[in-house]
Amino acid sequence: MLKLSALKTSALAAAVLMSSAAYAEETVVWWDFLGGGDGVRMKQMISDFNAAHEGEIKIDATTLEWGVPFYTKVQTAVPVGEAPDIMTYHASRIPLAVDQNLLSEITADDWSKMDLAKSDYAPSTWDAVTIDGKQYAVPLDTHPIVLYYNKDLLKQAGRLNDDGTPMGMDSREGFTETLQALKDSGSVKFPLGSVTADGNFMFRTIYSLMGQQDGELMTDGEFLVGDNGQKLQNALSVLAEWTNEGLQSTYTDYPATVALFTSGEAAMMINGVWEVPTMTDLHKDGKLFEWGAVELPVIFDHPSTYADSHAFAIPAGDMSAEKRDAVLEVMSWISKNSLFWATAGHIPAYGPVTESAEYKAMEPNATYSPLTQNMIFDPKSTLAGIAGPIFDVMSTYFVPTLNGEMDPAEAVEEIKVELNDL
Amino acid sequence: MIRDTKNEWLVALILLTPFLAVYGLIFVYPTIDMFLLSFTDAPLIGEGDYVGIENYTRLGRDRRFDTAMWNTAYFVALSVVPGTAVALAIALGVSRLTGRMQALILALFFLPYILPVSVVYRLWDWTMNFQFGIAMHVFDMLGIARVPVFKTTTWFMPAVAFITIWWTCGFNILLFLAGLRAIPQEIYEAASLDNAGRWTTFRKVTWPLLWPITALNLTIQLILQMKIFDQVYLFSVGGRPNDNLVMVYYIFQRAFQSNHGGRAAAIAVVLFVIVVVVSVLNFQLTRFSGSGKR
Repeated sequence: MLKLSALKTSALAAAVLMSSAAYAEETVVWWDFLGGGDGVRMKQMISDFNAAHEGEIKIDATTLEWGVPFYTKVQTAVPVGEAPDIMTYHASRIPLAVDQNLLSEITADDWSKMDLAKSDYAPSTWDAVTIDGKQYAVPLDTHPIVLYYNKDLLKQAGRLNDDGTPMGMDSREGFTETLQALKDSGSVKFPLGSVTADGNFMFRTIYSLMGQQDGELMTDGEFLVGDNGQKLQNALSVLAEWTNEGLQSTYTDYPATVALFTSGEAAMMINGVWEVPTMTDLHKDGKLFEWGAVELPVIFDHPSTYADSHAFAIPAGDMSAEKRDAVLEVMSWISKNSLFWATAGHIPAYGPVTESAEYKAMEPNATYSPLTQNMIFDPKSTLAGIAGPIFDVMSTYFVPTLNGEMDPAEAVEEIKVELNDL
Repeated sequence: MIRDTKNEWLVALILLTPFLAVYGLIFVYPTIDMFLLSFTDAPLIGEGDYVGIENYTRLGRDRRFDTAMWNTAYFVALSVVPGTAVALAIALGVSRLTGRMQALILALFFLPYILPVSVVYRLWDWTMNFQFGIAMHVFDMLGIARVPVFKTTTWFMPAVAFITIWWTCGFNILLFLAGLRAIPQEIYEAASLDNAGRWTTFRKVTWPLLWPITALNLTIQLILQMKIFDQVYLFSVGGRPNDNLVMVYYIFQRAFQSNHGGRAAAIAVVLFVIVVVVSVLNFQLTRFSGSGKR
């Protein structure tokens, strides 16, 4: 008897569910790799989204380990149909992903449903998610690297301009002079804290310095053609020289670099904009000195900064129309509300946000945002991208070179051989 | 008693089938597939075209393959015999203790073994951190220059071997202890009656009677260490991964980072063959030398 009534109830429930299918809540499974200060901001956005779509769409989010582990998982999950409904993706990895059939195209129809268009994005950002005229992701932001600095220490060393920016940002000699002055002041362990124990990270700095000389990694499918090898060597030499002369920290890994800077043992630091929330939060709690963030110094011919873009992608595979609509709503909502994402330090990709008065007043974003004009992206190749083959080969040689174990010229030779072996 | 052979066969078959089916499905079939894959240019996921033995001939000119081979051999040399020797020494020490003290000391040595590799990595990575690690402060106190242990090629393999021994020797100690306990006390009594010293007792009694366990330990270690991956992968993050390559790491790199399924399979086949040959050879040799000693 009891059993029968239970059966009836569940049958009834099923009938109700089916009749109200149009109003059923869609659960969107989400994967991201945002584990730092920016991850905290993204979790906030997700819960805001869920609150705003109560009863309609619910994001079920998981944060995975950044880099190789994330992309390895994606590569195996998508072909066997275990992928999420939406995932964050680096624009630099899109050529490889498209080659592996991992991503679902974002069609013209999708763009109009999201109420987003090409005109909302900077050309370079739009181009970064476009392969053969088709788009494979919705750009969320660009995230370059910047120079963080300790205003108190620079002032002490007499290398702070009246407007609160460091002196000597326009030439190699000028910047080295600033570093030397900081060293001579004796108040810091290292003038510049750099992630010299992590070649993956240094790729960004070195690629920026190559860009300042108009260097190219890949020309028509060939690596370091002509004098590009020399340009890479120049970039490596500057950094190696700083370490050798004690102007830059040696064998320092990522967390140690941040620790050196925030503890005042290093006066400056080259790091991603994603550390802005760390500094903002520490400063708010009264645990940090006066600080600032500016575009990288011009060491060679003209300003140039390496950047990549976080984007949202839909994995390839079957998906119901309702689910896809829900996913599109997620991407659209997050893009339009990305002003909050800017507090994570990143530069939102959605034009109307970056053109807004609120964004323009945000600090330190406003100080470094002019650098968007000087951004360079990875070469568009299936070999490029975060944790991709080129990245992998080059970063191996950065650690020994930057710490005085290997001659820059030798490193360039080795890199050439290995790249051409790919 | 008359045995019904037919019936026995049936029972044997029924008992063995589940295991054989699983074995075939998750070991034999993938192994055959790996061999077939190694003759194609397949990407990580999906089919590829037949390319003959090109994936193998390529390995001859492949510098990273050389690095991986050499590093694996180096690591095996650094970890297998020293690891077994350390475990034996500790087991001999522990076997002299009794009661709770023995249990406590044994537990202390066994503790690292239960840690997952990621914890082991975090622990040692922080200890050895070039800027803030505890070990570096010790170096400073002793007046030795700081060493970026996991970032230099010289120190990487020895350090990882050391950590691996620290991490895994608990299990080998247990094996040795079991072996030591299996040696009858009467033999020791007889030895002491014959006025045998400590060294003679060890050399003439303990060592030969313990040899089967030693051989087993060596073989297990050898197979395990040739397949090393996780520690090397974790410790080389960001540093010099291509200089620290070992065989399994190289397979991972080829398959997951370079998207070369076929080439990865070829390396996997080479490793497979090496493991089979070396372990069979090792087991036969240790057995042979053991019986010679007795």
